[in-house]
Amino acid sequence: MNNKGAILPAEDGVESAVIGWLKEALSKKVFDALLIPVEVPAGDSFAYLLLRNPALLENASPLPPVMPVQGAKAISRLTMRGNGSKRVAAIVRPCEARAAIELTKLEQAHLDNLWLITVDCPGVLPLSDYLEDPVAGAARFAEASQRWDRAPMRPVCQICHHFSMPASDLHIGTLGSAEGTVFVIPGSPKGERVMENLGMPLDAALDDWAARVKEMEEVQRERRRQAHTDLKAGIAGPDGLLDVFSSCINCHNCQRVCPVCYCRQCYFESAALKLPPENYLARAGRKGALRFPPDTLLFHIGRASHMVLSCVSCGTCEDACPMSIPVAQVFSLLADRAQETFGYVAGRSLEDPLPLVAYEMDELHQVEQPYVETYHGLQIADCEQEVQDA
Amino acid sequence: MSDKQEFEPRIIYILCSWCGSGGGETAAAHHLHYPENVRPYRVNCTGALPTVHIIRPLIEGADGVAISGCHPGDCHYNDGNFRARRRVALVKSILDTLDLEPERVWFRYVAHGEGRRFVDTATEFNDHIKKLGPNPLKTRSDT
Repeated sequence: MNNKGAILPAEDGVESAVIGWLKEALSKKVFDALLIPVEVPAGDSFAYLLLRNPALLENASPLPPVMPVQGAKAISRLTMRGNGSKRVAAIVRPCEARAAIELTKLEQAHLDNLWLITVDCPGVLPLSDYLEDPVAGAARFAEASQRWDRAPMRPVCQICHHFSMPASDLHIGTLGSAEGTVFVIPGSPKGERVMENLGMPLDAALDDWAARVKEMEEVQRERRRQAHTDLKAGIAGPDGLLDVFSSCINCHNCQRVCPVCYCRQCYFESAALKLPPENYLARAGRKGALRFPPDTLLFHIGRASHMVLSCVSCGTCEDACPMSIPVAQVFSLLADRAQETFGYVAGRSLEDPLPLVAYEMDELHQVEQPYVETYHGLQIADCEQEVQDA
Repeated sequence: MSDKQEFEPRIIYILCSWCGSGGGETAAAHHLHYPENVRPYRVNCTGALPTVHIIRPLIEGADGVAISGCHPGDCHYNDGNFRARRRVALVKSILDTLDLEPERVWFRYVAHGEGRRFVDTATEFNDHIKKLGPNPLKTRSDT
């Protein structure tokens, strides 16, 4: 990564500075279209718009107070069938960019003609909190993000440690910048080209930004570790786990909104789990009773086994849960541990291969059950006894 | 007799169709015995074994799941066993994080000619699960 950036004046706040900059890029034809969150006309939510007319940027917001749709889902829908002929800039949060990178590796998105532009992220409000009063919510978000106070944000945002620059093409650094300015940081040759075309020389040192990000990251890492320790105590064992997931109503919203749950046919909604009555009766006989609809726990653990290696802890699943189950927190814990096993970090780079696609010949020997010599179990003792008796 | 000795675990033994199952055939040819409560479950390749097929038995009534594929370098499809090792590591990581006893899942290579090793694995795993006791999830009705 280039360790120089450019300074963008932002006297009227980060939002208007970024929007002004994007407007310029759009009118100079550096980008042909933007994929950017825009406030809906009703004023109570935000939606991604594929925007081609710079005049419509008025209500756009690079850092909306909520995340109703995960940006990677928008990027995936736009580029699933291939790279477009036009240059599109997607203004997303760091977790959305990381999910987009995972989806690209899963061949659900194509980033050759798409620029990922991210901003240092203060988190987002829980969707339900915001919807109670969107105006007050927006004010609360603006006030808290000014102070980098994560207390009103979603629990999973409070423990986020990937809040700054992911492997994006361009990043807006708001941390550590002088009053009334922001950094524009290129993250790839593609991003550098854009800055060149916009006539932005890379002459600003980024030490202040990097130092501030590092400092905050350490605080967040410690918070995350602490939160995960507390969480683990609550979900430990079958009792703890079933207590957490007992209120699940099987709506599968968490799966539907998840950016990396991309399967056309989800296994847990497929005919494989829709069985004849005899099957359920037999299972009810074995267990004494069977909860209906069945396979709730299988859905959660099974879904975890399908997607935790690409989970970016974006928290969309928790926002979508009508029963307020801490899905995102549980999955962030599972994801951290599972990704650690493979030395993988979801969304870190396009080059790291997906853990279940690649393998090493010499690795993970801890899962192989050692077998040194013949096992002298009961079976053999029995046989020897039989021989002796005979 | 104590309760522990009376406990007869239900065990699913997932075998790949080339080496694991072959180990079973060799064991049969040599008239070797393994516990009758171990149920062999043949899959084409352990590298193609869905993670859900390891998790589901543990929720629905099995006390343990053992998986045997070819030795490294012996896989009929070149790298299925390495992929299986990654999948087992993933499942074990999830079970470990949730404190759901990852030791109820065993992964051990068994070659086609290793009838003894096949029988040993089944017997040893059976004894291991007997020591662990019944799987608490299998009796939970609220899963």
